[in-house]
Amino acid sequence: MRAAQQNLERIAERRFARTVMLLIVLGFGLVMLAGISALAVMLRGEEQTTLVDHTYQVERQATGIRLALEEMRSARRGFVLGLRKDSGASYPAAAARLFKSIDGVAGLTRDNPVQQRNAEQVRRMASSLDILFRQSMGPSLQRSDKAEVERQILAGKVEAVAMRMLAEERRLLAERSASREGSVQLFYAVLAFTGVLLALVALGSVWVIRRYTGELVVSRAELRNLNENLEEAVAERTVDLQRANDEIQRFAYIVSHDLRSPLVNVMGFTAELEAAIAPLQGLIEKVDERDPALVSEEMRLAVGEDLPEAVGFIRTSTQKMDRLINAILRLSREGRRTITPEQLDLGAIAHGVIDGLRHRIDELGVEATVSDQLPDMISDRLAIEQILSNLVENAVKYLKPGRPGEIRISGRREHGRVLLQIADNGRGIDPRDHERVFDLFRRSGEQDQPGEGIGLAHVRALAYRLGGTISVESELGNGATFTVNLPANFAGERTA
Amino acid sequence: MNAQQPVNIVMIEDDEGHARLIEKNIRRAGISNPIHHFVDGTSGLRFLFEAPDGPVHNGPALVLLDLNLPDMSGTDILTKIKAEGSPLRRAPVVVLTTTDDKVEIQRCYDLGCNVYITKPVNYENFAAAIRQLGLFLSVIQVPDLEEQ
Repeated sequence: MRAAQQNLERIAERRFARTVMLLIVLGFGLVMLAGISALAVMLRGEEQTTLVDHTYQVERQATGIRLALEEMRSARRGFVLGLRKDSGASYPAAAARLFKSIDGVAGLTRDNPVQQRNAEQVRRMASSLDILFRQSMGPSLQRSDKAEVERQILAGKVEAVAMRMLAEERRLLAERSASREGSVQLFYAVLAFTGVLLALVALGSVWVIRRYTGELVVSRAELRNLNENLEEAVAERTVDLQRANDEIQRFAYIVSHDLRSPLVNVMGFTAELEAAIAPLQGLIEKVDERDPALVSEEMRLAVGEDLPEAVGFIRTSTQKMDRLINAILRLSREGRRTITPEQLDLGAIAHGVIDGLRHRIDELGVEATVSDQLPDMISDRLAIEQILSNLVENAVKYLKPGRPGEIRISGRREHGRVLLQIADNGRGIDPRDHERVFDLFRRSGEQDQPGEGIGLAHVRALAYRLGGTISVESELGNGATFTVNLPANFAGERTA
Repeated sequence: MNAQQPVNIVMIEDDEGHARLIEKNIRRAGISNPIHHFVDGTSGLRFLFEAPDGPVHNGPALVLLDLNLPDMSGTDILTKIKAEGSPLRRAPVVVLTTTDDKVEIQRCYDLGCNVYITKPVNYENFAAAIRQLGLFLSVIQVPDLEEQ
């Protein structure tokens, strides 16, 4: 069920991420669209300004044509009537202005074939008109009505064409203005459209985010709730465990303790029995001397062999049982001892342990070394001493015959843990037994050494109590390395 | 022990076997004082305080006390014997038990126990300890209870 919910949550998260991404992209797209249309409108506006300017220039030139024509006329009239004393010098200037204006118009409207044609026409007519004017001002001064009419018509035509050009230019301007108006309107429309869309996107984003935030708040509250419950559950379990552990300790103590009482009886009365055998044997011997017929072979065997043998077996068994019970008692007592962490100098402790076994070590010619790189740690002194001395004692005990013993204690600090290693070159432990050797009363290999199978169980119990672990690496016949992994800074046991 | 009146040895021990072994070894040490054996606290207390031939009415006594009894803890008996105003509070009490718990030992001495002996599991040691206790009993002075 939890997995399904997690799956749902993951899907919701992915959907949220996708939606937000989509909305952001959409928003950017819209803003970009608005920007592009604004740019387009601006460019169009500039273009329009140039065009308007162009139209005005064309207009000025067209107006120039009319003005020049007017001047030419008045110059000719003045000259003919003799009103002017410039002997006709102002006419050529006016004619030059006329052609200049025509050239100007032609130059400005180079891209417009209609205007070009108009300009060409006007130029042609202006040339003819110019000739007519000049003839009328010539030395002959011939004046005919016909020429007069011809001049007037031609001048009218020139003016008309000029007017046409002007009209054309104005029409073009109006056309362009209209198209510009259209594009501006389109821009506004686009702007309004993107604005609405942006508002929608923003609303959508806010909605999605709000919904997601709401979900987050809810799930966070749930998480907090779960967390609190978890802590409570852990505390509860810890108390349960502690209680169970105490129960086991008490149980072990009571059992071992109460088992001792009957054992005292068994051993005591066995001893009494043994003591009673001696007078019985004396009796049998005495009777045997006086009247052998009274003593059957059965009696002799019973007193001489069966009884001592039975007593002997009872004795060895009870002694063994006694040792086992004592071991359990010792372990349970050890488990009830309070652990007091303190700053420890492992090097000094290791040397102390080896000195404590110095007698055996020297006797067997074992070379025991302690690394001078042993780290410091905070832990229980007695427990560490017992762990080390048990392991070193084992190393001394299980040497490989015919090979001079070597024992090395080393250690290092790693990620807040201290790794203590006790390596030997002894007879080793079969990998099959690597777990078993740490169990109570279990031993490995040839049973040629005294012991109950308690040492390593004790060491492991101690390591556990100090918040650590113990492991062994070994091969049969090739020595063993025990590694004790302990917290470098043991804060003490949790008191429940 | 006191010459004029024989000192009664009151043994409160629930284990018959232990009682027998203790008695045997005390006898082997040459102690011939009468030994009264009780297997539970109630009958032991009744004898100590009420019986006409008990120590209150009938001369000095020495108590051998086991702590693990079926009906009550030996320390309860010890408390009653050593209580203020108890006629037996001067009677020597030897706690003879299997418990070697430090706290328990301290508690017994606090309550006024005179000697605390842990029964050795090994029989040789056990026999030796009891015999030594017998030798010890033969030389200690037990106060007369009437002279309160």
